[in-house]
Amino acid sequence: MTRRSVSAYSFLAFPLTILLVFTLAPTVLGLGLSLFNWSGSGTPRFVGLENFRGLASDPRFGPALRNTLIFVVGTVPLTVATGFLLAVAVHARWFVGKTVVRTALFLPTVVSIIAIGFVWRWMLDSQGGLVPELLKAMHVAHPPDFLQGGPVLAFGEGESRRVFLAWLEWPMVSIIVVQVWRGVGFAMVLYLAALSGVNESLYEAAEVDGASRARVLRHITWPSVAPMTAFLLVTGVIGALQVFDIVWAMTSGTETRATNVLNMYVYREFQQSRLGYAAALGVVIFALTVVATAVQFAVMRRRAA
Amino acid sequence: MTSRRAPNPIARTVAHAAAYGVALTMLLPFLWMVVTSLKTDQETVGASLALLPRGAPWEWRWQNYIAAVKEVSLGEFYLNSVIAAGVTTLLAGAHNALAGFAFAKLRFAGKRSLFAGVLATMMLPVQVSFIFAYIIAGRLGFVDNMQALVVPFLASGFGIYYMRQAISSVPDSLLEAGRLDGMTDFELFWTIVRPTVWPAIAALSIFTFVASWNAFFWPLIVIDSRQMKTMPLAVAELASGLLVQSWPVRMAAATILTLPLVVVFVLFQRAFVRGVALTGIKE
Repeated sequence: MTRRSVSAYSFLAFPLTILLVFTLAPTVLGLGLSLFNWSGSGTPRFVGLENFRGLASDPRFGPALRNTLIFVVGTVPLTVATGFLLAVAVHARWFVGKTVVRTALFLPTVVSIIAIGFVWRWMLDSQGGLVPELLKAMHVAHPPDFLQGGPVLAFGEGESRRVFLAWLEWPMVSIIVVQVWRGVGFAMVLYLAALSGVNESLYEAAEVDGASRARVLRHITWPSVAPMTAFLLVTGVIGALQVFDIVWAMTSGTETRATNVLNMYVYREFQQSRLGYAAALGVVIFALTVVATAVQFAVMRRRAA
Repeated sequence: MTSRRAPNPIARTVAHAAAYGVALTMLLPFLWMVVTSLKTDQETVGASLALLPRGAPWEWRWQNYIAAVKEVSLGEFYLNSVIAAGVTTLLAGAHNALAGFAFAKLRFAGKRSLFAGVLATMMLPVQVSFIFAYIIAGRLGFVDNMQALVVPFLASGFGIYYMRQAISSVPDSLLEAGRLDGMTDFELFWTIVRPTVWPAIAALSIFTFVASWNAFFWPLIVIDSRQMKTMPLAVAELASGLLVQSWPVRMAAATILTLPLVVVFVLFQRAFVRGVALTGIKE
């Protein structure tokens, strides 16, 4: 590392140009666009914060925001916790068939979400789908319509019908289940890597002290993989706030009140050439991402201190 | 090890049962997809719990696959996906590796700030950038053609970062020896770095291929004409049920879409899992 390298610039010129042209510049321009009205042709008209005021009074914004948050809360903690427990089990020396389980669990991660969503829709279809048919075979008289059904917690019929948490509807629950199903393998593989880095002597010390299995898990294993948990939570929340593909796959891109998430909404506005409005929505997602990440880091720092 | 003592047999059985149970649910949808693809339409109406299609294997509806390829013209979409993912993987691999090499081992003015810029691109949300990425791509003529699917992905912040991390671990002494022999920077990269970090290049190539093959949002934006569609777009169209109503034919198409990745994954399973594990640790 003595000489200054000129060839470094020739190695970097093309890749950095690509990043500049297709990511960096479009982001800066996109942030600015949220303050304009523009259909893609003609001159953009500056409107200040009008797009954001429009969002606040838009009847579709509230449900989209709520659905996105339901998705984040419904998927991320469950995925991380399940991934951790599976990794602990599979990592144990006495576990038989580690590679088989790891391969099976990781499989959905590499397969197109669109194809996965499509297959799950077939499995959940109220007309001959595997899951409703299985439920009928197990004498559940009226299995819910997993793809188009109403509130999950609805009991009774007619006058005596009572609904709890009316915002929790079957289509979103199905999407969440499929997402967790898909994401568990990834979390498990990362936890397996973290577990193999845990210092053996910690376990030995605990053993000498006669600590119970649960205490070892709680006080040694879990804290040892905290950096991985942090990584999974932060990247998981960012990914979940930006969710698009799985919702599209499970709904065929149709917009319903129960499943519309922010990013689907961005896409719709873009399709209708309301570019400034779409950009404003994008900025909201970006802001949510930044806030969620900052909060998580703050919590972790306090925990560490 | 999580624990050096083996727990009692009941706990061990429960742990195995849980893990294998979850593993089974991972395989079930894929199995059901293949089983459905070999049934007749009638078999999928009403109670369709039969775990195998009716009759002997040679009586199953293999022609569903022909129907999927013909009626949906999957062949064309397949070719598009193969070319897009193949070219992207090859070219992006080279560019990311060279850029990673520059950031890891070369000295030049502006290195810190340029690398900070690269890291920043990893965190920028596509929801904000895609509008102008689309407009710029349009100005450059990269819309509704192969360039639209390839050019924006010829470098990635993640790829450069990943390669930089991998190449950082190559001992400087190796490179110094090469420099004393009068090698140029590119020769150093090609003869010393490339063979040394080959596993990382392989892992990144697999990621790139999978990401390109499965990409949905960007192709949905930039591709309009039917003949330029990639496989995920074709399957999304198929899923809408406007094209073909038959579940078996649609499942045959889904099988054709997912099969190459399942094969790639099973073949390169170890490199894949190792590569994924590295990303988490290095973060």
